[in-house]
Amino acid sequence: MIYDTIEFRAEPFSYFLSFADRITLVRGDSATGKTYLYQMLEDLKMTEKYQNIKLFNYKSDDFHNSLKKCRKQFIVIDNADLLLDDADRFFINFETGNQYMLFARNCDGLNLSAESFVVLNETDYQVTLIRELVSV
Amino acid sequence: MIHVYTDKQNSEGWILQNDWYFNIYTGNEDFSEKEKEAIWQIDHAKLTGDKHIETKYGLGTVRNLSSGCKTLLNVMKNPDKVVNADECGKNVLDMLFAMDGIYLYMSRPERIHIADGTEICFNEKDIVVGRRGYEQWWSGEYERRDMDDL
Repeated sequence: MIYDTIEFRAEPFSYFLSFADRITLVRGDSATGKTYLYQMLEDLKMTEKYQNIKLFNYKSDDFHNSLKKCRKQFIVIDNADLLLDDADRFFINFETGNQYMLFARNCDGLNLSAESFVVLNETDYQVTLIRELVSV
Repeated sequence: MIHVYTDKQNSEGWILQNDWYFNIYTGNEDFSEKEKEAIWQIDHAKLTGDKHIETKYGLGTVRNLSSGCKTLLNVMKNPDKVVNADECGKNVLDMLFAMDGIYLYMSRPERIHIADGTEICFNEKDIVVGRRGYEQWWSGEYERRDMDDL
């Protein structure tokens, strides 16, 4: 794992994100703050502690080739349902040096465990990832 | 009738990238009271007269709405276009399937609330009714995909 947890404050919110699998799929309802989190991570990755964060979304140039060049990074992909093709999913499964947080609903073709499925939860300005109940 | 397409081979003119389409086009249009209500229901965002929004994340513009909310507004503003619903959560899909005369692209099923009498036409040929019909159609589709090794 590149990061077991990611912790930061973004007033009025505090984030404590804990990861139990190399691949984390963040799902749940729309408007739970996934893209807002992505925007916060854009700043967080500028810090020394979190410099291994690599971010992609629908605005990223040359996404497929850029992804395949990543090694030993914590890769966050917003709009992953739009971006990921079969080759990307294959790369994610077998390039085990990277860790992933995917904002995606479609889990087809990914090697996942029950620990992989989470939703973003905010209670009293504390933001965490909680396990989603799924059968795998 | 809700029209659902599950294949995007002939997708010219469809809205596949909802964030981009909304930021460039839909976000520049005026919003009706019904659309403002939808923005509140999904994002809990208050829309001001000058297209700013107030949410728990702070002040922003309509371009800061969630992808799901943007998708819903793209559908409401473009009822004649096929709109990609793959990025929508259950809360948005429930609202979409309560509408009528809309066109959606869905590459896979989601568990959603569908009223008993709702008619859904898949790929311009298979018409089913209600949630049971929706689920039966997707079961058959997955069997077909298995047979085709997709």
